[in-house]
Amino acid sequence: MAEIIQDSPELVERLRDPATVREAFGDVISRYSEPLYRQIRRMVQSHEDANDLLQNTFMKAWGSIEHFRGEARLSTWLYKIAVNETLSHLERERKRRGFSLDDQEAALINSIEADTDIDGDALALKLRKAIATLPEKQRLVFNMRYYDDMRYDDISAVLGTSVGALKASYHLAVKKIEQFFSDDD
Amino acid sequence: MKEDTDILKTIGRRDGMTVPDGYFADFAARMASQLPERPELAAMAVASAPRTFWGRVRPYVYMAAMFAGVWCMLKMFTTVVGSHELAPIDKNPVMTEALCNEDFMNAYVYDEVSDRDIMDQLMEDGVDAESFGFDIEE
Repeated sequence: MAEIIQDSPELVERLRDPATVREAFGDVISRYSEPLYRQIRRMVQSHEDANDLLQNTFMKAWGSIEHFRGEARLSTWLYKIAVNETLSHLERERKRRGFSLDDQEAALINSIEADTDIDGDALALKLRKAIATLPEKQRLVFNMRYYDDMRYDDISAVLGTSVGALKASYHLAVKKIEQFFSDDD
Repeated sequence: MKEDTDILKTIGRRDGMTVPDGYFADFAARMASQLPERPELAAMAVASAPRTFWGRVRPYVYMAAMFAGVWCMLKMFTTVVGSHELAPIDKNPVMTEALCNEDFMNAYVYDEVSDRDIMDQLMEDGVDAESFGFDIEE
């Protein structure tokens, strides 16, 4: 489990100083690449796609680093970019392959089954398949809450959804996953 | 609200996904080296350098000057419009001084008034016109 990383005030300060911004951004990459990678990978499933999207996320963040003024949390800002990149990628893929949402869900489950970068935990694999059946936004909420143990306030800042709606969405996601497991038994 | 079910508790928070060995360390090094140069960041820092005292107060000074200008214009407007109403003579020193000035009265006031008008006015007021040297027979 990778809990959302707390921002370092010193790192944020270095990011705002042109003399140290590049070096500081290198530290940002080291610090945030794993939680962001996991967040992206849980959505797209494939390591290669997650790797590309992670690169795009950091490139976009670097390209607009001057807009990060420290008012928002660094982690929230990076998660937002990563989520937008991921959702755009999923939509692009749907259009490119002429997939419906159901087709994409089936493709995600296939890609989970074909994934060689797994630790062989059958239950964890089954949970990933169950999560793949959730609608995109619900999947994001579930992943952030369940795997990253993010607070609803933080998820709300990333997704721009109210805390109440997020709680309802998570609750519904858990019910659907339970149903998936009971149907599969 | 009870959030996690027995199934989720059993599985725990493992996602079962693995990455190639050393992936994150390699990624960070590779990514940092691929970042393009951004010389404009330094230029922007110069542009957003801390402002001087005058730089900070200048907008407020300009705004105050603008209001003062508007006030002066309004004051001038009311002065011009209100100038038709002359103050009473006892509160108008310019007029008082002018009326006490014999040359002024002779040149600008008495020329416009005939002796008869003055005599009529004196008689109405019950003043003896002869005491002023007016010839009543005229």
